[in-house]
Amino acid sequence: MSTVVVQRPEPEGVELSVVRGPLRKASHNRLYACVVGLWLLSGIFLVPADEQAVVTRFGAVANPRVSPGIHYALPWPIDAVYKLKTHQLRRTVIGGDIPDTVLGRMPAAPSEFLSGDQNLLNVRVVVQYSVSQPTDFLFQTEDVDRAVEASVESELAHRIAFTPVDKILTTEKVATQNDVLGAAQRTLEEYRSGVILSSVNIESVTPPPEAAEAFRNVAGARADAIRLVNEAEGYANDLIPRARGEAVRLEEQAQAYQAGRINRAAGDAARFEAIASEYAKAPKVTSTRAYVEAMEQILPKIKKLIVDSHGEIDLTVVGRDPNTTANPTGAPQK
Amino acid sequence: MTTQTKYTVVAIVVALLLIYRLFYSVREAEYALITQFGRPVRTVTSAGLHVKWPWQAILWFDRRLRIYNPRPSEFLTRDKKNLVIENYVAWRIDDPRRFVESVGDTTAAEMRLHDIIWSGLSAALGAQDLDSLVAPSPDQVQTASMLDQLTNNADRAALLQYGIRILDVRIKRLNLPEQNKQSVFARMRAERERIALQYRAEGEQQALAIRANADREKEEILSAAYKNAEKIRGEGDAEATRIYGQAYSKNPQFYKLLRTLDSYKKILDDKTTIILNSDSELLKVLTRGEAGAK
Repeated sequence: MSTVVVQRPEPEGVELSVVRGPLRKASHNRLYACVVGLWLLSGIFLVPADEQAVVTRFGAVANPRVSPGIHYALPWPIDAVYKLKTHQLRRTVIGGDIPDTVLGRMPAAPSEFLSGDQNLLNVRVVVQYSVSQPTDFLFQTEDVDRAVEASVESELAHRIAFTPVDKILTTEKVATQNDVLGAAQRTLEEYRSGVILSSVNIESVTPPPEAAEAFRNVAGARADAIRLVNEAEGYANDLIPRARGEAVRLEEQAQAYQAGRINRAAGDAARFEAIASEYAKAPKVTSTRAYVEAMEQILPKIKKLIVDSHGEIDLTVVGRDPNTTANPTGAPQK
Repeated sequence: MTTQTKYTVVAIVVALLLIYRLFYSVREAEYALITQFGRPVRTVTSAGLHVKWPWQAILWFDRRLRIYNPRPSEFLTRDKKNLVIENYVAWRIDDPRRFVESVGDTTAAEMRLHDIIWSGLSAALGAQDLDSLVAPSPDQVQTASMLDQLTNNADRAALLQYGIRILDVRIKRLNLPEQNKQSVFARMRAERERIALQYRAEGEQQALAIRANADREKEEILSAAYKNAEKIRGEGDAEATRIYGQAYSKNPQFYKLLRTLDSYKKILDDKTTIILNSDSELLKVLTRGEAGAK
């Protein structure tokens, strides 16, 4: 690897030229100085804004993190500069490629996983990660992408192997993503891969096509159940307020009846008391007047037969009309 | 060119060659194995500038972690269930000298790893029931401890024999063999049927309960209202009775007269025929003249 050193001008070369003539010596000196100068200048390097650099001296890390800007490192073959796009999100897909809509390529078949209750599921996961430790990223793992893929996939398989299929499909999808992210990150740190996972996203999780119809049926059943319950709740929500209204009506009617009864009683009582107090002043006359007045009201409307107290009564006259009632006595006994 | 210049040139070339043969730099991702006439003498694991004798040669090794994915293979569990398992091995060269003596290159190393892992995995899986690999709850699954043990054993063997360090053996994919899948799909479908029926029945159960509950509540509300209403009415009646009683008891005879006369007004209508005795109180005056009024 360091064979090229031989062809490079060395400081000894400058000493060598001293033995030459003064004129040639000067021009040679200028040439050598120029070459050495250029060689030294070749150590200048630029780190763009989205990158970081690692500088190694004779292979060993000399500066693990060079931030963006203009920098100097000793020229080849002493120092070497590795530049990395640290902020760039790298992406890898587990379970088939992302469908390429531009080229109209069909997506590859997603990969099958075995769930805790021994159902097969097709899962596709998109992983995004970026460089966190440039030196580890460069020098500790041969193929970081492969390591990320392997660790995420194994955690996913492990997580799915102890989760029932319904939970993966519904409630535990997010929890699974988070668990896999955390566990895979720990594994990658063990491997010193120098990456940080920013997201593990379960892009699709579907039952195999052979059982898809049955899974849809379950979803339909769940919707039906919710609909039935909603309808029943609608019924209850309609019924109860009506019953409450009816109850209020009943009680209000009762209140009205009560008030009516009491008021009427009080009115009647007051009227009676008023009359009674007058009656007390002249009982005989008042009662006669009351009696006669009443008779005046009653008698004009009805049929009357007046008989002599000693005479015979032929009741057949009365009996001809079934609606008539015989009332032999007239006045109340005082 | 003078003789002196020639000597100088030779001296420089010799010096450069010497530097080239004496110094070498080891990069972070590498190990250097120094050999003397083909025989390994020492391993250099630290990166940086190093010195050796000019006659010694160097063998370079990648020290970085590698991920090896063996082909998926079928294994049998203790309860005689077939499983297709895809795993990966994270490994790196730890002892270059042993590595070069026993294996040579990474392709050969991966073949050896495949053998170690395959036999380890088939032994480990043969001691496990399917239930301890795939189960509905996390505490039943023994995979992690099984793989840890497998990793430890494989690591010890590989380090001793091949100078390879195995950091991790993990299962990437648990699957069923193709010929078993159809029965699994049939089972999945049957299971879904059952769950769908259960969901619908549960929905109906819940709906019926809600309706019955509403009906009961309605009945409760209305009967309670009836109870209250009747109580209120009764109170009204009682109060009215009390008021009447209080008023009328002051003069019961007069009340009797008035009330009887009132009731006549209601009882006697135009269909009534009344036979009056001429001796009656009302007609006495009519028949007897003024004497009747006394």
